[in-house]
Order: sequence, then C-alpha cells, then structure tokens
Amino acid sequence: MQRAVPYLVLALFIGALVVALVPLPRAWSDTGGDLETKLGLDLIGGLRGEYQVVATDNQPVTPEILEQTRTIIENRVNATGVAEPIVVTQGADRISVELPGVEDEADIRSLIGTTGVLEFMPVPPELQGTVGEGPLPEGMQDIEPLFTGIEIASAAISQDQNTRQLVVDLQLKDTGARLFDEYAADHYGEQFAIVLDNQIMSAPAIRATRFGGRAQISGGTGGFKPSEAQSLVTVLKFGSLPLEIREVGFSSISATLGLDFLHQTMLAGIVGIALVFGFMLLYYRVPGMVACIALIFYSIFAYALFRLFGVTLTLAGIAAFILSVGMAVDANILIFERTKEELRSGKNLTAAVEAGFGRAWTSIFDSNVSTLITATILFYFGSSVVKGFALVLGIGVVLSMFTAIVLSRMMLRWVVQQRWARQRHLFGIDDSEISLDARSRPREASGV
Amino acid sequence: MFDIIGKRRYGYVISAILVVTGLVFILATFIPGGAAGLQFSIAYTGGTVWEVHFQDGTPDPVAVRAVLDEQGLPGSEVAITGADNREFVLIRTEALSLQAPEIAEGSAAAAVAAARASASPSASGVAPNESAAPNESAAPNESVAPAVTTEPVASTEPVASAVASITPDASITPDASAAASTTPDPSSSPDASMAPVAGSGDGGPVAGVPTAGQFGELATALQQKFGNIDEVRQQNSVGPVVSAELVQQTFLLILMAAAAIMIWVSYRFRDFRMGVSAIVALIHDVIVTVGVFAILGTFTGLQVDALFVTAMLTIIGFSVHDTIVVFDRIRENRQRYLGEPLELIVNHSLVQTIGRSLTTSLTLVLTLVALLVFGGEAIRPFTLALLVGVVAGTYSSLFVATPLFLDWHLRADRRKADEPAAAKSKSKAKTSAA
Repeated sequence: MQRAVPYLVLALFIGALVVALVPLPRAWSDTGGDLETKLGLDLIGGLRGEYQVVATDNQPVTPEILEQTRTIIENRVNATGVAEPIVVTQGADRISVELPGVEDEADIRSLIGTTGVLEFMPVPPELQGTVGEGPLPEGMQDIEPLFTGIEIASAAISQDQNTRQLVVDLQLKDTGARLFDEYAADHYGEQFAIVLDNQIMSAPAIRATRFGGRAQISGGTGGFKPSEAQSLVTVLKFGSLPLEIREVGFSSISATLGLDFLHQTMLAGIVGIALVFGFMLLYYRVPGMVACIALIFYSIFAYALFRLFGVTLTLAGIAAFILSVGMAVDANILIFERTKEELRSGKNLTAAVEAGFGRAWTSIFDSNVSTLITATILFYFGSSVVKGFALVLGIGVVLSMFTAIVLSRMMLRWVVQQRWARQRHLFGIDDSEISLDARSRPREASGV
Repeated sequence: MFDIIGKRRYGYVISAILVVTGLVFILATFIPGGAAGLQFSIAYTGGTVWEVHFQDGTPDPVAVRAVLDEQGLPGSEVAITGADNREFVLIRTEALSLQAPEIAEGSAAAAVAAARASASPSASGVAPNESAAPNESAAPNESVAPAVTTEPVASTEPVASAVASITPDASITPDASAAASTTPDPSSSPDASMAPVAGSGDGGPVAGVPTAGQFGELATALQQKFGNIDEVRQQNSVGPVVSAELVQQTFLLILMAAAAIMIWVSYRFRDFRMGVSAIVALIHDVIVTVGVFAILGTFTGLQVDALFVTAMLTIIGFSVHDTIVVFDRIRENRQRYLGEPLELIVNHSLVQTIGRSLTTSLTLVLTLVALLVFGGEAIRPFTLALLVGVVAGTYSSLFVATPLFLDWHLRADRRKADEPAAAKSKSKAKTSAA
C-alpha cells in the first residue's frame, strides 16, 4: 500500500497534466463542447442580448416587475451552469444579458428559455375532457386567465403516498390560492389548463373544492415519467415571468479588460510565486525545495480541476488562484517549522520529519476544515457567483491539504533516506540551536 | 522569553481604535446625502450605458477608459460591441447628468433630430430627410442610427416623419450650431460634411449626442480625441450587477459561516471560549477591512467594486487559520504543562508559533504585493482588500483572539475561586437560619 503511493501520485500528475494541457472532448457531459479553460466576460467578451419587457393594458412595467424579471432570467441562466453571466436592467423596461465565450444567438435564446407568461386558464364547458398538452385549441384563445405564474410560490417533484407515482407539488401564493379555491369550488371535476406561450403544458382535472394554496398534479393513470415531471416543474418554476419579454437585438461584446490584463496579471502572479519559492528555498532549504515541487503539482492539479468542473476564470478568479498558491504553502510551512522544532529538541532527521507531520496535522486539519465548512455553506446557500467562488475555495483547500500531507511527506521521507541530505543545516538548523543535552549525543542526533 | 501576552492591553487599545474608526466611517456611508464612507461602484449602484459609433474608426478601449478617468469617472467599463457588421463603443459609467428622453420612438426621434439639427453644422447643409433616404437603400440597419432609444430595429418611417415634421426648425439651425457647437475640432467638419456622400454616416457627425452637463463634457472630450460620434445606439440607465439581494445574502452567509466555524472550533478544542474568541477575531478582521475601504473611500474615492464581496468571503475563509495554529499549540501545551498558570502556557504557545504565523502570512503578502504592483488596475482594489484582510488576520490571532481567550478564562477562574466561598457563606446563612 505504502509503495503504491508514489506511483499513484505520478499517475495523478500525468492525468492532471493531460487535462490541463490537452483540449479533450467532454464525452461524459451532455452539455457538450470541448474541455477547455473557460474565460470570463472581462477577458474574452461574449454575446449580449437585449430584451424588452412588454407592458399590457392593465399592467405597466414597474421597477419591481423589471427587477423580478431580471432575477428570473438570471436564475434561468445560472440553472444551466453557465457561470459568470451579467444580467442587468436597463432603462425602464429593458434587460440585457451578457454571456462569456458565446457567439451564437441560439445559445442565449436557449438559456433564456421561454419569453412568455405562464397562465392558469379555465377550460370552457364545451372543451371539457378534450384538452390535452399541445397548442391552445380554438375557443380558448380569448379566455381571461385565472392568474399568472407570478402566483406560484414553489413547485417540486414528490411521490404520491398511495400510488407511489411521481407527482408535482405546487404551492400558490395568497392571491393565487384564493382565486384557485374560488374557481375550484364551482368547477369540481373539471379540467383547467396551465398555458405557456399559447401551448398547454398540462391540463389536470380538479379533484377537490378547497386547496388552500397547495395542489398536487399527478400524471394520469400511468403517472409522470421523471423527465416529464422535471420539465413541468421547470415550467412552473421558471416559466413564470410576470410579463412577456421580447427580443430586441443581439450584439457581440468585447472583453472589458482584455487579454493584456490577463497577461499582466499572470506576469504578476509569476513574480509573486517566484518570490514565495525563493523565500522557501532560502529559509527552509531542502524542505523548501520539496514544498516548491509540491506547489507546482498543486498549481497544475488545480488548473486541471478548474477545467474539469468548467470553472469560469475571470481576472479576479486568476488572482484568487495565484493567491491560493501562496496559501497552499501554509501547510508545508507548519510542517517544516514543527520539524525544525523537533530537530532542535534533539530528534534525528527521520524521527523529526515524522513528528513534524504528525504534530502539525491537527492544526492543519482543524484550520482547513473550518475553511471547508465556510465553502460548503457558501456552496449550498449562495447564489451562482458565490457558488462558483465556494467551489474554487473548496478545491483549493482539499488540494493543498493533499499536496502537503501526501506529496510533501512522500518526498521528504525519500529525502531523509539519502546520504547527502542528512545534514541539519540543509533543514535550516544550525548545530548551535540544538538543545544542550541533545548536543552531547551528536552521533545519534545527526541520525548517522 | 518574550512576554507577548503581558502586552495585550496595547493590542486591545489598537484594535479598539481600528474597529471604532472603521465602524464610524462604515456607518457614515448611511448618512443620507453625505459623501463619506464606502464608495460603491456602478456594480452596486447602476449607472449609465452609452453605446456609440465613431465615424473615424473604433478607438482603443484602453484609450477611451483613459479619457473617462480624466473626466473623473473611474471604475467605468469600456467594451467594443458589434452588430450588423458595425462596431460600437459601449461605455458603462456612473449615472451621468442629462439623460436624453427615452420615451416613445416618435418623440425620441424628434428629440434626436432636434439635437442633431442644433448640434451639427453639417446638418444645415443637408436636408435631414434627404440624408435618411440614401441610407435606407444602402444599408437598412444604418437608417435607424439617429434613434436614441435603445431600439436598434426601429422602423424607419416614424424617424423619417419625425425628421420631416421638424424640418422647419432646421432652418434656424445655422445660428444655433454656431452658438453651441459640439464639434470643437474644426478640422473634422469637412470630413463630417463628406459623410453623407460616402454613405457611412447618417447625415452628420453628431446625432443625439449630449452637449450639456457632465455627459456633454464627456462627449466633447471623446470626440476631441477620437473624432465625431455619428451614431448613438443606446443611451440608457443601467441597473446594478450586484443586486442588493446578493449583498444581503452574502452578509447572511458570513454570519452563518461564522456561527458554524464557532461551533467547529469549540468542538475541536473542547472549549467554547476558544470558538467565540476566534469568531470575535474574524469579525474584527472583516470590520477592519471594510473600515479601511470606508476611510480610503472617503479621502481618496477608492471604490468598493463587485469583487469586494469575493474578497470578504476569502477573508472569512482564511482568517481563523492563524488563530487555530495558536489555539492548537495552547491545547497541546495545556496537556504537557498541566498545572502551570494559563498565562504562562498561552505566552509560551504564542512565542512558539509566532514565527510560523508571520511566515505563513509573509508568503501571502509576497504574492499579494506582487499582484498589487505588477497586476492590472482592475484587480487592485480586490488585492488591496485581501492584503488588509491577511495582515489583520495575523494581527488579530496574536493580539485579539488569544488575549481574549486568556482574559475570559482568567475571569472565569477568578469567579470560580470566589464561588466556593460564596457558596459556603450561603450555606452558613442557611444553617444559621435553621
């Protein structure tokens, strides 16, 4: 087991190098596209789409509705995992959507999804029993809806307790709940229709006279297939724009900062990391060398993981990545300091290195777990921007722990076995620093 | 041995000064109408978006940004957009005074025509409705050019009719344009008058370009440098990228994370005083960092940009690291030197770990200073926030978290020492009562 570790690390390293450098097709993911480094709007630009919220006769576009629409669109874009979009309101009734690295208008369109309003419509008596999913039939075009998707509080898939079939749970807000109860009281057993963009998405029959805002839509005799239930939930949750929106136009948008800034920041990063390397080599000598190798490993591995997870790198993301290299060295420093301390107390090299790892472990573990707790909270409760940050933070912490505890340890263990390395000054310790009683036993202390 | 912990009073005083000053400046932000405190960038406040076409070719965004800086509009964003084979310069900046009316198409077009008529000398030479016609046949998209509305696909008819209806006004333009000419570079006028002939413009160098107020100054400065603006694609207000909701959410998340870290540290060290002390230090770091930005914002105008939220999250992610290193050593030494006074143990632990606390921070400071000095302007506030946070984090682990933990313990111990005596006297009183 112990012997396999170096090979495992080597295999991982080669794997990471391949992922980091070669544009691989992303075969396993259904989003398609090659495995490549995603850059943000600030670095490579993208495509900008502009939408107009269309007022109706009895509903003008208020700032609240505009902001509500913006939030829904932002959520829709974020739900697909495209990171770092910019969705802002413009003027009194516009919303502009910018997506990094996109050239095709269809990409924005598919992310924005439907532009219509979700409506809950009564089905007239003459059409009862005939209405199903599909285009809105003749005779229903002019019917006033009961209420629109604004009244949906939440929608989720669940399982019916009796039939074990998949159902969709629907929760309505106060006004919607009241309107629906009023309607249900008079129309028990009749169908009503959930309509989006003149398409009936679902036409369930009403099986109660009082709902109190909670309804359950079941998929008929056969029940919903998981995909059907999911798409209905998506429609109910994200189909509910308060007002219809209309495409105004698309334009390409260049990077706000551009690749010059990327190069400048990368140069700064190289300078910074070189300073750290220089410091480590001067101050810790041989272990410093080990730390530098571990850091190079960390950088390549982290970069590979960013590509795997499709993390969008903005300029700030790159700066944070450079900073994470400076942070990844922390665990190494704690270990080496502890090793030095153990050497000073008179332990021989092998014992000091082992003690260094053993004793430093608790503080490394406790501090990194506290960061992981933060990352987890941010990931589960944060919105998209915060989520992306949490992912990068989490990757960085786990990886830096791995490189320090596994990689640095492996290399140091090997180093202390080498004849040339068995000199304390190579570990940054002068003989004068060793405690007196230890110095009286020089042979044992030097580990020879 | 150094007596670090004995000097903890100085630490308390310095921290109190930092935190109070910081809080004063942070709270100054909320004074209505005041200019003090945190200066939020357009990412938080929204602003104005302006998308224009330059007749003499698209300028370099960096150069445009330099002009914006000169105009006292730092933190603006400049990008090149392209639609229908035409390049525009998109400028997002803080809200500018003088907004062109953005109402119905007809009236907006009329306003444009009026602005054009009054602003451009060449417009007087060419009848406006004539100039619109050739464009329509040449390239339909260009015929919409004068519309200041954000509508790029406006129908050409209302524009033409609006222009036509305004023609009577055009006859008085020569005087008006002479009085309030927005084309400061005289050499560009001949070019401008050539434009309709070449078919590249819409009849004049200036169409709906503001002439008054701060916006007008900006337009003038840009045209002086890069030539005339011959098309305004949009001129509009723009909402914030970082919504108030996101800021609120981040604030809530920081509180949640702090609570979770407190529970974790209390659990791992079997001492809730350590958990609470670590969190107090973390909050100290956050206040100091935000406070530094509030102070710098007040005096230098340094803005809080969208990345500030990220910087704060990074700081809370790493602030407790140094504290945990010290606490870990206290935990170890408490077991090793059982029975020794806590004050000695804590000081010994601090002396033992101060070297690595400083070293681990030094590596971060090295990378951050390199980014600050050599990195781009755009990430400078972000880097600065992190730098302040890292330094504050190291300081607070030594001079806030650890002393706080010690004093709290000492106080509790003293109370414990008093308690048996108190209990005794109580029981005595009881027996005497009986």
